[in-house]
Amino acid sequence: MTTTLVRAWRQPTPTREGLIGLGLPDPELWASRLQLDRERAAGHQTAELASITAAVQSRSHELGAAALILTGSTARGVRTAVSDLDYHVIGARPSLDDLPADIDLYCDYPAELDAKLAAGDDFAHWSARYGCVLFDDGTFEAAVAAACDVWPDPERKLRQARRALDFAERLAVSGDYPALLEQVRATLSLTARWWLLAHDVFPLARDELNRQLVELRQAELARALAASIHERPTPTALAASLSTVRVLTS
Amino acid sequence: MSAKPKVEVAREHLAKAREEADGGDLRDAVQWAFASPEAAIDALAESQGIAIDEQHWKRTEAARELHKRGVLPKDLSGLHRELNELRKGVFYEGDELEAGDLSIEDTLTDVETAVEIAEAQS
Repeated sequence: MTTTLVRAWRQPTPTREGLIGLGLPDPELWASRLQLDRERAAGHQTAELASITAAVQSRSHELGAAALILTGSTARGVRTAVSDLDYHVIGARPSLDDLPADIDLYCDYPAELDAKLAAGDDFAHWSARYGCVLFDDGTFEAAVAAACDVWPDPERKLRQARRALDFAERLAVSGDYPALLEQVRATLSLTARWWLLAHDVFPLARDELNRQLVELRQAELARALAASIHERPTPTALAASLSTVRVLTS
Repeated sequence: MSAKPKVEVAREHLAKAREEADGGDLRDAVQWAFASPEAAIDALAESQGIAIDEQHWKRTEAARELHKRGVLPKDLSGLHRELNELRKGVFYEGDELEAGDLSIEDTLTDVETAVEIAEAQS
């Protein structure tokens, strides 16, 4: 009797070696990922979210997209009250104007995806590692396999964090609390992602960053981020969070 | 931070958008140009009993609805959506603003109209 070993996909550890160790390219492994990702996507969405995803998928297909990946907190199964729906389409941008949700849609043509992965764009690498691949004609698999030894560029994230911080500090004196809270949350998320990447930890979804930061003994940033997600901190507390970021990123 | 009326916030954000546009900083101009109609739509939506729940897509829908009801002379939903995409791109994408066909002057004119109407109704 012969036994055939079929390799099964598992989500990579959030380390430099995480993706390398899986052994891509491997058609059987990728097929098992597609199967697992479809199950994860189905399990992590309400009926309402799933119908939005179905529309994004159908419209992307119609435009001839090579791949569509559900990303972010939905893909990880850790949505919060302030989570958007995040997708990464490899191909043209479908119209989503009528869909009832705050949607973040990143669009890259295949060559752009390759370039972003090679340059260490952490969002592209997030899709590669933790996204739920909803369909793929082989383009995404090839891109991931070619770039699995690339580590996202922390300096790029630091630039983004500083830019977000500058605007947050201006909003802090504007009297616009909803805009400030959202901007502080974005600033803290970017700062957390920079800090983690710079310490060889791959940042997971936003509400998982707190735990990752605590493991790196960055409790103050973790607390501020958690509060910006789950609470409505006072403007004074938000300003204090920005001071923390200013010190960290200086 | 005091609880400033939304119309005041919208006016001040618009002034900052103009200042940045005049100074040639389109990235910051887009940030403020998005924040201003957000506050103006909040004010108008509240007066019309339209729920926003601090969600951008609901503001986009509200902009369309406010036009349907004759509150706004123009449907600003497309502009609102485009500004939302652009301002996110400023933080998460490349260093350059990919504004495409967007005219900052036309944008600020449309936002000014929304702010004036919100002020008149407050």
